[in-house]
Amino acid sequence: MKTNRKHWIGTVLLAGLVALTAACGNGNAGNGTNAAAANSGNTETTTPTEAAQTEAPTTKDEGTLTVYLNDFDSIIAPLFEEATGFKLEVVAGNGAEIMSRVEAEKGNPHWDVVWLDAMPSIYGLGASGQLMEGWSPNNVANLTDYAKGFVPEKQWYVPTGAHAAGVIVYNKDKVKAEDAPKSWEDFSNGKYKNLIGMADPAIAAPAYPFVSLFFKEKTIEGGQAYFSSLMDNGLRVYPKNPNVVKALAAGEISIAALQESNAYSMKNDGEPIEIIWPSEGAPASVRVAAIQKDTKNPNAAKAFLEFLLDPKTQQALIDQGDESYFQPSVTGVNAKADRSPDAKLVAADASWASENEAAIKQWFADQSVK
Amino acid sequence: MKDRLGWFVSIILFVLVLYPLAAVIIQVLLPGVFFGNWQLGDLKLLLEIFNRPLWQKSLENSVLLGLGTTLLATVLGGMLATIRSSWSFPTAKLLDASVWLLIITPSFILAQGWVLFAAGGGIAVNVFGWHWITGAIFQPAGLIFIMTLSKFPFAYLSVHAAMEWKVDQLSQAARLSGASPLTVWRTIQAPLLMPAVFAGAALVFMDTIGDFGLPASIAAVYRFPTLPYSIYSAIYTSPIRFDMAGVLSFYLVLLIGIAMFVQFYAMRRSRFDFLSARAERSIPKPAGKYAALLTTLNLLFLAVVIGIPIGANVLMSVFKTQSAGLKLSNLTLNHYRDLFDSSSLLLKGLGHSLMIAGVAALLGLLFGLCVAYVLTYSQFKFKRTIEVFSIVTLAVPGVVLGIGYIFVWNQKWLDSIGLLLYGTPWILVLAAIAGAIPVITRLMVGAMAKVPHSLLTAAQLQGDTFIGRLRLILIPLIRGALLSAGLAAFGSSVFDLAVNSILFPPSFLTLPVTINKAFEDLDFGYASAATVLGSGIVILIILAVELLLRRKEATA
Repeated sequence: MKTNRKHWIGTVLLAGLVALTAACGNGNAGNGTNAAAANSGNTETTTPTEAAQTEAPTTKDEGTLTVYLNDFDSIIAPLFEEATGFKLEVVAGNGAEIMSRVEAEKGNPHWDVVWLDAMPSIYGLGASGQLMEGWSPNNVANLTDYAKGFVPEKQWYVPTGAHAAGVIVYNKDKVKAEDAPKSWEDFSNGKYKNLIGMADPAIAAPAYPFVSLFFKEKTIEGGQAYFSSLMDNGLRVYPKNPNVVKALAAGEISIAALQESNAYSMKNDGEPIEIIWPSEGAPASVRVAAIQKDTKNPNAAKAFLEFLLDPKTQQALIDQGDESYFQPSVTGVNAKADRSPDAKLVAADASWASENEAAIKQWFADQSVK
Repeated sequence: MKDRLGWFVSIILFVLVLYPLAAVIIQVLLPGVFFGNWQLGDLKLLLEIFNRPLWQKSLENSVLLGLGTTLLATVLGGMLATIRSSWSFPTAKLLDASVWLLIITPSFILAQGWVLFAAGGGIAVNVFGWHWITGAIFQPAGLIFIMTLSKFPFAYLSVHAAMEWKVDQLSQAARLSGASPLTVWRTIQAPLLMPAVFAGAALVFMDTIGDFGLPASIAAVYRFPTLPYSIYSAIYTSPIRFDMAGVLSFYLVLLIGIAMFVQFYAMRRSRFDFLSARAERSIPKPAGKYAALLTTLNLLFLAVVIGIPIGANVLMSVFKTQSAGLKLSNLTLNHYRDLFDSSSLLLKGLGHSLMIAGVAALLGLLFGLCVAYVLTYSQFKFKRTIEVFSIVTLAVPGVVLGIGYIFVWNQKWLDSIGLLLYGTPWILVLAAIAGAIPVITRLMVGAMAKVPHSLLTAAQLQGDTFIGRLRLILIPLIRGALLSAGLAAFGSSVFDLAVNSILFPPSFLTLPVTINKAFEDLDFGYASAATVLGSGIVILIILAVELLLRRKEATA
């Protein structure tokens, strides 16, 4: 009798656990969280009202479009739904968090579209066969000549805009205009010793495009020599651009290589800073959007890329977005009025930047602990 | 029966802790194993820790921080516990409450508080004009100091619990034989306490060495990479290198293993079963003329350990700008108003977090009860192993566990049996349970140690069932601890950042993710206001549950 009871209890405990975990699997639709994840067996098909796609869809979408992104998370879903009728779920995080999730999910991706200002990393996804190939939105016709240069051969992604990964910013109260650095070469000048700061390319998403341009133009050794000379000159490396802003505001540094939106919003907040666009060009960080190879929602995903290359969308991002200072990738869009007319952007070749990403970042990480 | 419970507990621990952890460490050996790729990894990576400057530095820093903090925090916690159980003085209860507050407050919030206080342009500089403090805190010794003040509670609780019972006959016998009080303390009382001291020290070491919140928060001001921080960079730096995270996690687990081995070894040498029928509950003596002194010291101490980190958050939440400092014109409630703004996602995130923490606390409590039962009463063969794995999540950084959870719970075949939990809120619940297990189990084991097995055996002899014994004998006797464990698990799960940031499902924001995003954007006012509001609500819930349930407890 006693042993029977014991058997019974063990079975109940196990059965309870199984029931519990099983309930977990099915329960996500009903908990009011709106988290209709791709796995919930949601077969409902979203019917677009005025979908932007031209050819008749051959496959139906299985769930809700899920976009992994690092900016514009608060405005993009309503804009997209208004324009196309498709619903949209976002996972927002910083560039690194998003890339990490994408990588960890490799065996069973939960995303349909990834949209980040990290072109080399997305290029890497394409090169390792994780992106849809050979399809390109009709709206690529809208791309500016400059942006067209970013479309990869196999059409893994489309550029939706570019911003300066770094412009020269200086504190007017500390540095006179005539003394301010005018070019990146000036950064190694001894008169700026211990005055300059920048973001860490190993952590901040836009900082890698910034340093990779120097490594590409000067070769790896030349790039190392350049940044070594900056470090010898007392360059301070902060984890992310907002930390650079704070250090600049607190007077820890007087000059910085600062990401464009951060620089302009600092100026707009009344901080005593001035922005210089170097004539040789500022390193560009290109925001691109790509579709996951095995997406279950190809129609909505394609519609999303069309939508991003619509001049109306990019104008809305500039007018309402949080990262609003950028050079649009399509014609017929006006950049922010106060964005410098002689803003010149230069980008390192994405395939080169992608191949050398690990080596350059590791060099930086190791330098900074020395 | 007991073996069955033992196996049940082992399986759950395996699923919740060991398997995800192993999934990350296996990346070193088989980097593509979860994506159907059986290629061998580069084992030379294991030795890179001795070549790569960043890794070397991280290892050094971790060991330095771990050892320094363990030493200081154990001394501090032990001293406080001794004072607390020897003398009674006003505000002593406040010390107990603060200790718990420190244990359940996530380290990133404590560390942010210290950063807000001590950084250049922080509160210490702007409000008090203490310019020296920035340099004093942001150096290795300063970080050990902060860590000590955040982690001493583990040592305190361990020693305090051990001093709850005393066997005066041993000391009295020694005194009768002519030993001086010092000799009695040195040869009898101190050795009897050693197991508790070692247990406390091991917990401090593990929690310190696995701590990610402090190095992450400090990184904005001062570069002090530790192992968890470098694991984080391996996971969060494109191109993502899970194999590197695996290598560093391996060393972290190795360090934890060494710590546990030392603890077991020390315990084996100094294990005395001294509790006998003559043991009495020790009652603190009134402190007499020293009461005022003790009260003042206690309040001063609490002002530093609680007042600085939490006070800094509170101040920052009402400042218009950080640089203007404490002036009437600089005070505002706008940050709080922003929280309730219609476009604010914070309240929704708070709701999600409370729900997840609530479910996790209940399930965790149930499971913790089983673990503690096995550890306390059973003869289960693998008791030691269970004990180790019930503590391990204290030391393993949340990001490692989080990545492991993706590997484990995002495999395609799980979909066919409805267990593809990644991408649903349930993954957060599971991770929260895993995170809460150490605290729950420690508390339960402590409480069960006081309930003699004979009570349960007697009921069993009368034919009572296992559930009946638990329900009618064990649970009523450890009610208080159950309640504390559940509430502590709830409180700490609400703010668990690391796990949340990697696992949250699409469009499912949680409180810690929202707070961290605001901190990252340097929106300190909003972040602090959200922290204060969140903590306030959690504390209210804890107090309400305490009031509702604690009253019925029989006085022991």
